[in-house]
Amino acid sequence: MMIDARLDKAVIASPLAIHGLTVSYDHRPVVHSVDFVTPPGSLTAIVGPNGAGKSTLLKAALGITPRLSGDVRVFGRPLEHEARHLAYVPQRSSVDWDFPARVIDVVTMGLFRDLHWWQFGTRSLRRRAMESLGRVGMEAFADRQIGQLSGGQQQRVFLARALIQEADLTILDEPFAGVDAATEAAIVEVLKSLRDEGRTLLCVHHDLATVRDYFDHVLLLNVRRIAAGPVDEVFSERHLQATYGGRLSRVQLARLTEPAEIGTEAR
Amino acid sequence: METWWRALTFTLGYNTSVVTLGAMLLAAGAGMVGTFVLLRKRALVSDAISHSTLPGLALAFIVVGLVQGDGRLLPALLLGAAASAALGLWAVQMISAHTRLGEDAAIGAVLSTFFAFGVVLITVIQSMAVTGQSGLTSYLVGATAGMLISEAQLIAACALGLLLAMVVWRRDLLLLCFDADFARTQGLNTWRLDLLLLMLLMAVVVIGLKVTGLILVVALTIIPPVAARFWTDQPLMMVALAALLGALAGYLGVTLSSVREGLPTGPLIVLAAFLLFLVSFLFSPRRGALASLLAYRRLRRRVHLRQGLLAVAHEEPIFDGLTLKLMRRRGYLRRDGVATPLGLAAARDAEHEERLWALYRELHPDDALHREHAGLVPIGQVLSADAIMALEMQLAPTEGAR
Repeated sequence: MMIDARLDKAVIASPLAIHGLTVSYDHRPVVHSVDFVTPPGSLTAIVGPNGAGKSTLLKAALGITPRLSGDVRVFGRPLEHEARHLAYVPQRSSVDWDFPARVIDVVTMGLFRDLHWWQFGTRSLRRRAMESLGRVGMEAFADRQIGQLSGGQQQRVFLARALIQEADLTILDEPFAGVDAATEAAIVEVLKSLRDEGRTLLCVHHDLATVRDYFDHVLLLNVRRIAAGPVDEVFSERHLQATYGGRLSRVQLARLTEPAEIGTEAR
Repeated sequence: METWWRALTFTLGYNTSVVTLGAMLLAAGAGMVGTFVLLRKRALVSDAISHSTLPGLALAFIVVGLVQGDGRLLPALLLGAAASAALGLWAVQMISAHTRLGEDAAIGAVLSTFFAFGVVLITVIQSMAVTGQSGLTSYLVGATAGMLISEAQLIAACALGLLLAMVVWRRDLLLLCFDADFARTQGLNTWRLDLLLLMLLMAVVVIGLKVTGLILVVALTIIPPVAARFWTDQPLMMVALAALLGALAGYLGVTLSSVREGLPTGPLIVLAAFLLFLVSFLFSPRRGALASLLAYRRLRRRVHLRQGLLAVAHEEPIFDGLTLKLMRRRGYLRRDGVATPLGLAAARDAEHEERLWALYRELHPDDALHREHAGLVPIGQVLSADAIMALEMQLAPTEGAR
């Protein structure tokens, strides 16, 4: 086994443990020495202002963006060895939706690494893809060209591609950006059901008003780690003030951190 | 004509048959590799590769010529071409990675410099005391007529290997092209895959030198994939179709060029490929120009008809010429513009359906169906019977109140 004896128990148990992660663009650190141990079985939000390095942190942790320094462990082992325990839902805008692919083609891509080159279109593959599509309410669209989908439907397809992997850890980059209210509700329901199955979800999130409703853990980030832990403890006025600086007014802060007043009017 | 027929039916002799098969395999491989290169949005790279083969080709000719007096030794020439193409690619990568120039600018700079150097070397060769100089021009526009059987076999074998490589790596390359970030999280080394794709592209170009010539080999990696895109929305189907269309173009081009000595193979293959593209562009039922035109006209007629019927239902006058014409042709309006009983009934139906659609939009605003059908399609074609019944039930009270 590749597990380092010096590692902490919490790190070994954690689906994604980040230590001292630093990323820089043009000599300017956009993520600076961040430590974060994702609690297993949690639904965690990464929250912070624009340009706080939320997506960059995840991309660097996943090896998509090169990191300047830092150590990333998936269940205590280096990322390369654990790639199959991990599903990634990128931002919708990161791909070309004019690509010649149908909904079902995109979903089956989640299983490509399990297929050998001599295997051609298999029926079980299609069945599993349809199951995943069913969980996000998209079976009827399986043979649609992906360019014909609405933003919310595109996001559902990406989620279905992650579902088919049956990963222990799913990392989502702004899954609610530019989607309709019904899709947002459907996605939250899927995420919560995955959490209830004991899986871990880590999600870049930008809507402060829904953090309390959707998530149980939160990482507040602004280039550096500001605070992390259970939402009830960490999502406080003091920490939000530290994360957002003067960008949030007293009234906004009070409304966000007062659990009783969380509701649609807070948006 | 008769010679062409014999070439088409592979009865023009063993040599021509092997050459034809080799060209078909090559074009199929080029179509497959080209599809991935196109989907990776790097179609220009093949241009850089093909032009930077020339100096290596010429240098190899000089070296072989000095050694044995005749420079025409295909394996050596192809190796030289591959080496200088690799150098050109490396230069493109270096320029785009370490300067602020984009890849397109780097490609432009590298391909013209390499090509210029190659042309200079060719003029040097013309004044050298070796034989076979005239054979070099066949690498510019391609010539299969005088091809040796061993050369044809080499090309066919390489192309077959290329096809196999594409089949083996098809899923990895597809992941890379659609979503490179996702591919990396799947444990794929995208840097190495990109390199693999470039190597395969280089192989296509180098093998294709003798068949289509270095200037035109680019067309084989671009035209068949673009034509294939018209016929399918499935990525791997597009790869297969591009291979098929490429092979067809190779078949037509090579057989045509074998009709008479001196007919250039490359241009004929490219023209055949263009013909296939033109047919796809015009007649593809999904994205073709003709299908789009017809779909547009159908939509326009439907919109006019619906507007006319709604105008009748609301007892508004109709002024639009096309609307009037369509309504009369359907028998909805009399010549003097008064609605017929048939027209009145259709107008009632149209209005009712409009109201069902409006209610549906109100109830399910995020449902994508309404975007496409916005009341122009009979609602029964889109929604299931029970959904329509539910809508009718909701609509009934307001209808009754009127």
